[in-house]
Amino acid sequence: MNMVQSVSALRVASLRKVFQRPAVDGLDLRVGQGEFYALLGPNGAGKTTTLRMIAGLMQPDAGEVSIFGIDALANPIAAKRITAWVSDEPMIYDKLSPTEYLAFVAGLWGMDPTLAEKKSAALLDWLELKPHAHERCEDFSKGMRQKVALAGALVHEPKLIILDEPLTGLDARAARLVKDALLARVREGCTVIMTTHILEVAERMAERIGVISRGRLIAEGTLEELRKQSGSSNTSLEDVFLTLVAEQETTQ
Amino acid sequence: MSTPASWLWLARHEARLAIRDLRHLMTAGGRWRIRNVAISFALLAVGLHLLAFGIVAPHAEMTLEAGTRGFTSITGTLLLTFFLLLSQSLEHVTRLFYGRGDLDLFRSSPAPLRRLFAIRVLAIAVSSILMSLVVALPAVNMLALLGGLRWFAALGVAVATALAAAGIALVLAALLFDTLGPRRTRFAAQVASAIIGSAFIIGVQAVAILSIGTLSPRDFFDSDLVLSYMPPPDNALWIPARAVLGSVPDLALTIVSAASVLIVPMVILSGRLGGYAIATASVSHGGSRPVWGARLFRTASPRQLLQRKEWMLLVRDPWLASQSLMQLLYLIPAGLLLWRFYGDSRGALLVLAPVLTMAAGQLGGGLAWLAVSGEDAPDLIATAPISPTYNLTAKVEAVLIAVFAVFAPFLIGVFMHSWLMALVIAGAIFLAAASSTLIQIWFRSQAKRRYFRRRQTSSRIATFAEAFSSVAWASAAALAMNESWYAVAPTIIAMLVLTATWSIRPR
Repeated sequence: MNMVQSVSALRVASLRKVFQRPAVDGLDLRVGQGEFYALLGPNGAGKTTTLRMIAGLMQPDAGEVSIFGIDALANPIAAKRITAWVSDEPMIYDKLSPTEYLAFVAGLWGMDPTLAEKKSAALLDWLELKPHAHERCEDFSKGMRQKVALAGALVHEPKLIILDEPLTGLDARAARLVKDALLARVREGCTVIMTTHILEVAERMAERIGVISRGRLIAEGTLEELRKQSGSSNTSLEDVFLTLVAEQETTQ
Repeated sequence: MSTPASWLWLARHEARLAIRDLRHLMTAGGRWRIRNVAISFALLAVGLHLLAFGIVAPHAEMTLEAGTRGFTSITGTLLLTFFLLLSQSLEHVTRLFYGRGDLDLFRSSPAPLRRLFAIRVLAIAVSSILMSLVVALPAVNMLALLGGLRWFAALGVAVATALAAAGIALVLAALLFDTLGPRRTRFAAQVASAIIGSAFIIGVQAVAILSIGTLSPRDFFDSDLVLSYMPPPDNALWIPARAVLGSVPDLALTIVSAASVLIVPMVILSGRLGGYAIATASVSHGGSRPVWGARLFRTASPRQLLQRKEWMLLVRDPWLASQSLMQLLYLIPAGLLLWRFYGDSRGALLVLAPVLTMAAGQLGGGLAWLAVSGEDAPDLIATAPISPTYNLTAKVEAVLIAVFAVFAPFLIGVFMHSWLMALVIAGAIFLAAASSTLIQIWFRSQAKRRYFRRRQTSSRIATFAEAFSSVAWASAAALAMNESWYAVAPTIIAMLVLTATWSIRPR
């Protein structure tokens, strides 16, 4: 699966966003279809800003975003139809049950109600939410809420899933369920791009890893390729990451 | 330097937080605004004094010889103020138990919770006193200017009113907590607070309509009917009224009594307040109750989905629903007026137009805030394959449909009397609700729905704009009902308010 096909699942070119200083500074990125891509970087590197611009939550100052060949800036509705977004802070409706939430999300994405119902039931079962399927989400733990948000992202069968720190605050069991769910989707041909501070997760799950610092992509490739770029072999991703970021900061 | 966790230390801590909150509220964090705030306050003070002059000038010569008629009028005003302060204090006291904030820090520290809560109840009393003085000061200043320094005694009564309100609020909150438990007290206290705040004026208006056929509380208190039930001037009931008029012994008695109303329950109850706060920390929302609304989402277009979602969230949140609909309590007198004079007095029905329009503007603004700013899953909506305009249109429709659903019974009632009047009122309701909705869209600022009550403090401009446009549309409706071309003037004012608000909206 380690290949960039002719039509990339995601292509980002010269992406730029400036707040008080450039948060994303001429970023180029390409993720192939069916690929699991991890975007790493220190705090304030521009990871979340990049993903929010890709997901259509923020307007870039310059650059291009293309999702499966669709210009996401010129035609956001078509791009959103095949995309899902999950953030570290699950934003769901406290007063709806997981079943109702999934029915609402499926309706927004224009899914056939019967199919949506079946998908919802299967997802809730898989994510161990079935016993709580008809309870309001207001008393749910952070892990349960994150699982509901993930189910919402998966129910409409997106081709590209964008996740910003989806494992933050999850216990080991919930984190394992989320990771399994994502890997299963990738095996079915779905593309995943995810940021995480847990480098072991990126190391184990991602086929390619991008390292971003001060809004720029400073390194990209498989773990082996990153080791070569950092000039160290047989080291963990953590060592590689720290070396690459330190080199970049020294250069600047 | 005071000893850490001592009374003085805690009081200083609370005062520092309160002052910083107040300063942030006034300046929105900007230093440069302090001058603007000072100028605004000066202008407001001048305006309030002019307004007070118009209202109190005829009464400046009133003395202790005013008799039952004068005492009734003063006591009515004091009762109105008392109930408003009681309503606000009850809300603040309840918030003490439910607000988490720094409470977990205090609970995990060796500092005595009893002391902290006693200080916080006192802080509520102080804020109540300040509010009472702000309201009373312009009127008292004008009365003192025209009728003599004796009127400054009224400020002491204002302080006493606030102290008594804080004390009774504490007792009520404790009673609610002991009776209903931590899960239900918050909601019950919010409802009780809204009812207490409006009950007196609504009650007076209702009795006034049913007895003497007027909406005016002043006419009611002046009426022979009311005076015939009042005790003689030397009765103890009139002690606060006599204190307002400058009787020093009555003033001392009023203040001492009011202070005891606060201090006695505070001493008795402050030890239990920490326990209440601990109990609220483990409250469950009752999420295990199954809900079955998914079918409402299954056969709907995205537009209907968004609308049904808004209505479902509102209906399932009794606290929010009560906060939005509580304003409609003020429609009870209007409903009574419609019922009392239905079919035999066109003049009385004319009063309905501005009342309904005003209420529609306020209700529309509240619902629009919930739909636009209070969206709990903004990222979900923003990443859904629908355009922002489509989403906004659906939400505006949800608000307007809800507003018309609430006012439909009134409109049907008026329609049976005159279709033209119903049409005018419906148009005014639409314009007022739509204007408030637009203002909320222009000043939208993402917030949790539970901060609904604070929406009015997050943007003063939006709050004032909403109020001004509602008043302007209400005036236009009243004049249009009278078939007067002067209705054009408030219509233009409403449009100007909207244009000005649009031009200063955040971008």
